[in-house]
Amino acid sequence: MAHNRTLEKADARRNMLFVLPMTLFAVVLVALPLIYVLGTSLVESGQDFSLGATFTLNNYKSLLRADYLQVFFNSLKLAFFTTVLSFIIGYPFGYCMARASRGWKALLMMLVIIPFWTSALVRIYGWKILLQANGPINAVLRSLGLIEKNIKFLGSYGSVLLAMVYCMISFMILPCHSAVDKMDFTLVEAARDLGSKPWKAFIDVTLPLTMPGILAGCVLVFVPSVGIFYLADIMGGGLVLVGNLIRDQLLKVRDWNTGSAMSMVLILITAGIYLVYRKSGGDDLGVF
Amino acid sequence: MKKIFALLLALVMMSACAVAETVNQKDEAVLNIFTWEGYIDYSTVIQPFEEETGIKVNYATFASNEEMYEKLSAVNGGDYDIILASDYILNATREAGLMQKFDASIVTNYSNLNPDFTGKFFDPANEYVVPYVSGIPLIVYDPSVVEKEIKGFNDLWDPALADTLGLIDDARVTIGMVLLSMGQSMNTTDEAILAEAAAKLESLKANIHVLEYENLHNYLVSGDIGVAYTFTPFVAMALDANPDLKVVWPEEGLGFGIDGLFIPVNAPHAKNANMFLEFLLRPEIAAVCAEWQYYCSPNAAALEVIGDWYKARPEFMGLFDRMDDAEFVLNLSPENEQKFQDIWTTFKLSL
Repeated sequence: MAHNRTLEKADARRNMLFVLPMTLFAVVLVALPLIYVLGTSLVESGQDFSLGATFTLNNYKSLLRADYLQVFFNSLKLAFFTTVLSFIIGYPFGYCMARASRGWKALLMMLVIIPFWTSALVRIYGWKILLQANGPINAVLRSLGLIEKNIKFLGSYGSVLLAMVYCMISFMILPCHSAVDKMDFTLVEAARDLGSKPWKAFIDVTLPLTMPGILAGCVLVFVPSVGIFYLADIMGGGLVLVGNLIRDQLLKVRDWNTGSAMSMVLILITAGIYLVYRKSGGDDLGVF
Repeated sequence: MKKIFALLLALVMMSACAVAETVNQKDEAVLNIFTWEGYIDYSTVIQPFEEETGIKVNYATFASNEEMYEKLSAVNGGDYDIILASDYILNATREAGLMQKFDASIVTNYSNLNPDFTGKFFDPANEYVVPYVSGIPLIVYDPSVVEKEIKGFNDLWDPALADTLGLIDDARVTIGMVLLSMGQSMNTTDEAILAEAAAKLESLKANIHVLEYENLHNYLVSGDIGVAYTFTPFVAMALDANPDLKVVWPEEGLGFGIDGLFIPVNAPHAKNANMFLEFLLRPEIAAVCAEWQYYCSPNAAALEVIGDWYKARPEFMGLFDRMDDAEFVLNLSPENEQKFQDIWTTFKLSL
């Protein structure tokens, strides 16, 4: 018995050693900076987070302005539309990919993976060239006689949305694909045998069974979409998103305390979304 | 236990080596430059300097003046030997005590500079900053799209220009443009005047198609916009792509900017930095810099050796006729800076 316990202890010690680097990484590179941001957001304007700094909630109170709330709303709205569109396009794509023959599956998977090999910035500039007023898309539309004057796509809300969906959609496709892939299709066959129409079988069987994948996809698309602002800037959207607001507060106004408070609110929103997702039975996404 | 001890020993020795290295750095033949990507050309400027002096140049980049300021404050004015940035941030950096004076016994050719570009607010006594290039944001438009002749800022409000403008996505520059159109200073902090400017900016909304900080010339060349208000190099690039475009020197007044070099207060290789400043001020090198960067040259001696094609281009040379109308965007206190940001945020939200 005693011998066994020593072994267990040795095991525990060895496990500790394996966990240690990861823990150090998380504490030094994630937790400490976040604590510093939190601290900075809680001390008076112009002060660093250190001993002797004056505690205040004013930085958070100063965020309660109609225009700032509008900015947060803008970001959430853009993230919402991005998620909905990613789902509408990504789910059928993931579904077909899962149901396709081996050769097709490999091809489709390649189409999803290969864009990751190039920087998103480069690909978005590619879209800009396609969409510009004297660019290829307008040329095609003109030669087909569909339009007379060039359409100014760039700078519109639609062009921003396109860029967002384009960059985010793989995070929807992959979980949806794996959910459909893992599903037991004999259940759909059973439903069909019992007289269910194809679309009814889809709604009653496939959709609920793949819901975990859909939810995971929605969280993976929505959460980063709230924080991204450079895509809107590149497409010339002129939108003010939370990211723009935080950047300008930190670098232009140089008020780090209010900027930190904005960052904390953004972190709380995303953490809140994730918590709701976990409470409603979502998978752990490999995050915690 | 022995193993752990050996490991610790190895770590201590490694850190000892690292300390030794920082000590040696003082007399190393190295120069650490910190500026925007592509702001000092390698093959025509840095490489010849390296060959002549044997000094190895490291080139680190920042995306914005503000980022530079934060990084330089974080290292307490150390790490970098030469920084190239814009006038208003140069002033903030000098006021924060993060600059050291250049060595006039090494930088002997400072007098090559045109006196119109020295003694400015960011360095009143010509002790800290060596001006590198200068620019003026101008209006450039496509006469095949815009029928009206544009002469100044106030023409941008013309209803015929609906959805055709491209403006710079920056609070100070664009609100400054509105202030100039009202005959006011770009640096006013008067609440009533700023409120008036905000209202005037609001009435420009219908004409704006795109807001972007850089590369507005692309939208002009691609036909997405008909009029752009943008910085000197982008005006020149637009003209390269489409020589039929028209450039306007706004009659109401001009914005003006100088990008200059300085040595941070705790620069590890200050002597090398002084040698580099001397090198950049040579007429033939300063000429190459202006030609490469597509900016106006503050170096009078350089303009004597610069290419004829450059001198034939008004967007580079027209500045000298309008020197008295040009106004800098100054650095303001956080509270006043906030006033401009607030107007800008409200405006963009209403787009």
